[in-house]
Amino acid sequence: MAARLLLRSAFRAATTCRAAPVPALTRGVTTGGIPTDEEQATGLEKVILKATKEGKDPYSMLKPKEYAGTKADPHLVPSVTNKRIVGCVCEEDNTAVIWFWLHEGEAQRCPSCGSHYKLVPHELPH
Amino acid sequence: MAHQAHAYHMVDPSPWPLTGAISALLMTSGLATWFVYKTTTLLFLGTTLLLLTMFQWWRLIIRESTFQGHHTTPVQKGLRYGMVLFITSEVFFFIGFFWAFYHSSLAPAIELGGLWPPTGITPLDPFEVPLLNTAVPLASGVTVTWAHHSIMEGARKPALQSLTLTVLLGLYFTALQAMEYYEAPFTLADGVYGCTFFVATGFHGLHVIIGTTFSMVCLLPHTHYHFTSNHHFGFDAAAWYWHFVAVVWLFLYISIYWWGS
Repeated sequence: MAARLLLRSAFRAATTCRAAPVPALTRGVTTGGIPTDEEQATGLEKVILKATKEGKDPYSMLKPKEYAGTKADPHLVPSVTNKRIVGCVCEEDNTAVIWFWLHEGEAQRCPSCGSHYKLVPHELPH
Repeated sequence: MAHQAHAYHMVDPSPWPLTGAISALLMTSGLATWFVYKTTTLLFLGTTLLLLTMFQWWRLIIRESTFQGHHTTPVQKGLRYGMVLFITSEVFFFIGFFWAFYHSSLAPAIELGGLWPPTGITPLDPFEVPLLNTAVPLASGVTVTWAHHSIMEGARKPALQSLTLTVLLGLYFTALQAMEYYEAPFTLADGVYGCTFFVATGFHGLHVIIGTTFSMVCLLPHTHYHFTSNHHFGFDAAAWYWHFVAVVWLFLYISIYWWGS
């Protein structure tokens, strides 16, 4: 009710004077005056919003996928260059992490437990 | 956009944390020199620097978030954690003052007459202005929730009205408390009663002023369409802070004004 009263007086004010009409009320008017993220997000926020809608995760915000680690189903490790450090926790709750460089090309195996890891190229939006 | 492979915000260097720290130093030492030497130079300088810092720093945050899009979901999550932790620290700050109050009032010392309120103190009637001062924060809690829902539903006009109402109620509370302070029959110097009363309610009043300022600073971006129906963390933070301030008042009212009278 209060909104209607204010709207009425605002309408009167808007229609009386006005050399230049107020353009403000036309923006985001689809939802009642407040824009949505779709309409207004910019920069990195917008890039991520678009990518998430397409089902992509260029900035690695989601948990990595689970793989068996076998020769047929190696862990796929995304990388923006041609190598990446891998830390293998061979068994759950192990405190000694096995670190090694994973290079592009054939899958490598963890020197301790033998799980297979393969580097895959990762696209970054620029 | 990013030459980074993550969704976080690595901020650029800026002078405002330094100016903020300097203003804190100037204000605290200025307060002390004002008490002792009656000069207000340092305090005035510190306050000016504080206002400058607030204006510049918050403008910078608005630029980074609304205009440059740095506040992605993980960044927002971090900001939420930050605000929650800050409010929690403030809760503990007030717990200290409530502790002091209950320590002195549950077992009143013989020097006070062995009773609470101490002999000679006429406490404020809790059912007069303090009761109005309880209705005001409760009402402003309603208006700020109304504003939040309006923003989420994309309704601009109701959001504007309810946020303005919230600010007005906050200012009304401050005005009423100021009048109460002026008219009170006891002062800060009136023993432990005066001390606990004015320190606890005084810090609360300061927080009301901070909360009102925060809400006013939210009004400005809102009128310029900065908030979206999904992403309006500045407003969320202001609303949380405001609810915290209202809840502290409720505890204050029940403990100091009502039980303590």
